[in-house]
Amino acid sequence: MRYTEFTPFDLWLLTQGLGVTIGLFLATSLLGVLIGVVWGVIRFYRVPVLTQLITFVSEILKNSPVLVQLFLVFFGFPGLLKMNVTPVTAALITLSANTAAFVYVIAVSAIESIGRDQIEAARVFGLTRWQVLRHVIAPQAAAFSIGPLTALLVNQLQVTSLISVIGVMDLAKIGANLNLRTLKPFIVWTAVGILYYLAAKLVAMLGSALEKRLRAHSAFRGL
Amino acid sequence: MKIDLTILAPYVGFLAEGALLTAEVCAVALVGSVILGMLVAIARTSQLAWVRGLAFAYVDLFRNIPFLVQLFFFYYGLPEIGIYIDAFTTGVIALSISGGAYASDAIRAGILAIDNGIIEAAEVSGLPRRVIFTRIVLPIALRTSVRPLGSVLINMILTSSILSTITLNELTGNARIVTSETFRPFEVYVVLLLVYAALTYLVSIAISLLHRWLNRDMQPEVN
Repeated sequence: MRYTEFTPFDLWLLTQGLGVTIGLFLATSLLGVLIGVVWGVIRFYRVPVLTQLITFVSEILKNSPVLVQLFLVFFGFPGLLKMNVTPVTAALITLSANTAAFVYVIAVSAIESIGRDQIEAARVFGLTRWQVLRHVIAPQAAAFSIGPLTALLVNQLQVTSLISVIGVMDLAKIGANLNLRTLKPFIVWTAVGILYYLAAKLVAMLGSALEKRLRAHSAFRGL
Repeated sequence: MKIDLTILAPYVGFLAEGALLTAEVCAVALVGSVILGMLVAIARTSQLAWVRGLAFAYVDLFRNIPFLVQLFFFYYGLPEIGIYIDAFTTGVIALSISGGAYASDAIRAGILAIDNGIIEAAEVSGLPRRVIFTRIVLPIALRTSVRPLGSVLINMILTSSILSTITLNELTGNARIVTSETFRPFEVYVVLLLVYAALTYLVSIAISLLHRWLNRDMQPEVN
């Protein structure tokens, strides 16, 4: 005999799943943005070989399915590198790298969006390349990239659902388990869908609030 | 453990079969999503507020809910209401519906980018509204949105790998089978990663050529 009815405990399970999803999303986003920005800076300094390597890796990561990347890390790495990869580690590595690949593109275009004349003027004033990056480029690039970055993160939040395939107990996995137990797919997947939708909306809202703030210096103030 | 790609040689044909199935699914889903996207784009540019609202709700919902959740909703949900279809059809339906949301945005942007003068000229010529739409607005909109529609297709190719979770043996599904027969996950998934990257790269080249060809009369004359 099995419980086919929904119990109040299912709500707690869904909350837990949502927590895992959001936790992994935050961790991988943070790591991904950091790595992606570092890659962008490496390109800004035109480090030979490394720049080409990063561009190649980012192209591969952008143009292949995340599911395959997950399988490569989760099933492929243990055999090759003789290391133990738990589902959560595999999820962290894959999602961070994938986010980094997209952040890299955003970072590059944000850095390139700043007019050459500004950089030349700053150089003429005797600022070092780092000072130019830190005080001239970074603030403007941040404001420029926050829009695309929000869109990317909303997308990455949905990509996290794929980690359920390798067994991480995230929201999608909890949904799959509830579905198997209750056999009420419409209710279960609708509930899971709504939770994902709300989380995505929250990310989008925070992103646009941050964008408004970062763009405040260039916003039209009125006469 | 050493990397040995020759181990995959006997499975090349099997993987190619999977790639063919991926291509089939994506081709059918592309047609489906462009038709759906066209209808939704028309609805989103409608003069009736409730039609616009409904179309926006569809786009917003399917862009903010993970594809995996949508897929499971259809895969487990449809049999519940007495519709028994195979994994292929379910996959095509799910891909078309989620792709339609993205395609509608691309086509809508194409419609909004049309010069008012063109429409006014058509009105002055006495063309009925339906003819203006099907013969003037849509062809121009589709032509300008070839590139964005192309990225929808590329995304669809990558997303189609998720169909392996509902037992559809396309490229990723077959690769999983090969892994379980050879116990060489690293080699299999590295090759798979590169195959997907090459595939999407070729598709993006084809789209650029198509875009150039469709807009050939808009190119400046080169002497």
